[in-house]
Amino acid sequence: MRREDKITAEMQEKLKEKIIAIEVPRERRIFAYIKTEALKESIKFLKDIGFKHLSTITGVDVEDGIELIYHLALDGSIELSLRLKVQKDDPRVPTITDIIPGAVLYEREVHEMFGVNFEGHPDLSPLILPEEWPRNIYPLRKKHTLEHLKNLIFKKEDGE
Amino acid sequence: MSYGSMIKVPFGPQHPALKEPEHFLFEIDGDIIVNVKPRIGYNHRGIEKAFERRTYIQNIYLAERICGICSDAHTTCYTQAIEELLDVEVPPRARYIRVIVAELERIHSHSLWLGIAAHEIGFDTLFMHLWRDREAVMDVLELVSGNRVHYAMNTIGGVRREIASEIIPKIIGSLDFLEKRTKYYMKVLRSEQTVLKRTVDIGVLKPEDAVELCAVGPTLRASGVKNDVRRDDPYAAYDEIPFNIVTDDGCDVFSRILVRCGEILESINMIRYALDHMPSGMLRVRVPMAVKPGEAVSRVEAPRGELIHYVKSNGSTRPERYKVRSPTLANIPALCKMLIGQHVADIPIILAGIDPCFACMDRLVFVDVKTNKKKALDFESFRKIVRKQRELL
Repeated sequence: MRREDKITAEMQEKLKEKIIAIEVPRERRIFAYIKTEALKESIKFLKDIGFKHLSTITGVDVEDGIELIYHLALDGSIELSLRLKVQKDDPRVPTITDIIPGAVLYEREVHEMFGVNFEGHPDLSPLILPEEWPRNIYPLRKKHTLEHLKNLIFKKEDGE
Repeated sequence: MSYGSMIKVPFGPQHPALKEPEHFLFEIDGDIIVNVKPRIGYNHRGIEKAFERRTYIQNIYLAERICGICSDAHTTCYTQAIEELLDVEVPPRARYIRVIVAELERIHSHSLWLGIAAHEIGFDTLFMHLWRDREAVMDVLELVSGNRVHYAMNTIGGVRREIASEIIPKIIGSLDFLEKRTKYYMKVLRSEQTVLKRTVDIGVLKPEDAVELCAVGPTLRASGVKNDVRRDDPYAAYDEIPFNIVTDDGCDVFSRILVRCGEILESINMIRYALDHMPSGMLRVRVPMAVKPGEAVSRVEAPRGELIHYVKSNGSTRPERYKVRSPTLANIPALCKMLIGQHVADIPIILAGIDPCFACMDRLVFVDVKTNKKKALDFESFRKIVRKQRELL
């Protein structure tokens, strides 16, 4: 049995119906799609079986929500992408910084770029965007095209 | 210790110790750092958004320009991701050439860093010597690719240039020179009091903290954790080339110096082996313009550590979403940990210790902060502002 299959079997046994889908597209890659409420439980479980390294958190604007993908690595080798979906209006998810402290900047990045609220995060102040950046404008969301963002900023600057 | 005695010291975005703009706010008690808050984003160019607007071919050039030091690592990571989506097998010779260029890049990047580290501790003679010798590897890179910074070697499906047999003796000659010099520098660094006094037991990062805070690359390996994407998640031809992972148990800045020196020597051996065992054959395969829907996670061991790209395609000629996480961002939480409890005078060398590359780290959105004004970086809007200012005059 491959290591990847063993991990997926273990996950399925532990998280059961909280897993919506799981696949192994190639060697050393796993994509798992879980229910939103199972985030902390899954991260805790994965950390216990060796996924201690969080590579990053990716946000993706999909039509009916925002997907968060937690990329976790086992001994630097197997990269597991744990995916969950949050609502577009008022997206919120608990922070995982209490389980993996290394997530602190990645959560802030997603917070700024997609407007996802990480509940319980110690500090969600601006990290990347300027202080004067308009509130509630999350630049990596699809509805904000470059033209839209440009207009927005120049309008403010010209005082129109 | 009362909070009243605490002083806040802003460090950057413009500071002599930082070669790129970034801001750190230090809270100090006397001379000791109590807390540090990073504020990144001063090099933010909106590259992730820009990826979504360009075709897969155009994006090779965009990926190359994420960073000027590890440009090859970014294109390797990008092309690998797209190749995985396209289900394309890269020809063996191209995989070897990718390793050779990547390792040359690692040598140049680590030599550059060693020079900067020497400069940060005020040892400018060493800095000048290191950078003079670094020219040897820069010449090799220029010989191989025609360029010193953006090598433009990678393309989707392979590499763009051959390493001709005529230039191999020249490469070997330069490698011999670099090996001799690196060994000499290692001897100097180990015995030189200036270096030891400024780096031993400075900026300590314990192994358990390094793992907890998700540190990567030489920063992690200098804390004794044997972790390297080239071995753990092999790509290009790394599964066929023998090499050692260099680690050190010192957990301080000096260990980071030793690890990088050791990695230069390893890279030299890897290039020798790759040149010796390079299979013959094609350099690239043709690939279609449009990419079928799917997603891929691609990882590369850049000179500064694990680099990860995520791509989601939608069947068109442009990606739906492209995400880049460069190693410097991964090392910032560890850096903040290292700084706490240290002296203000050691800030520059500890900061330099992770080999920060802020251009890499700040890539997402499209605004630049200069003179507290937001400027969109397109030519037309820029001209509009210039005209307006001229009218005002």
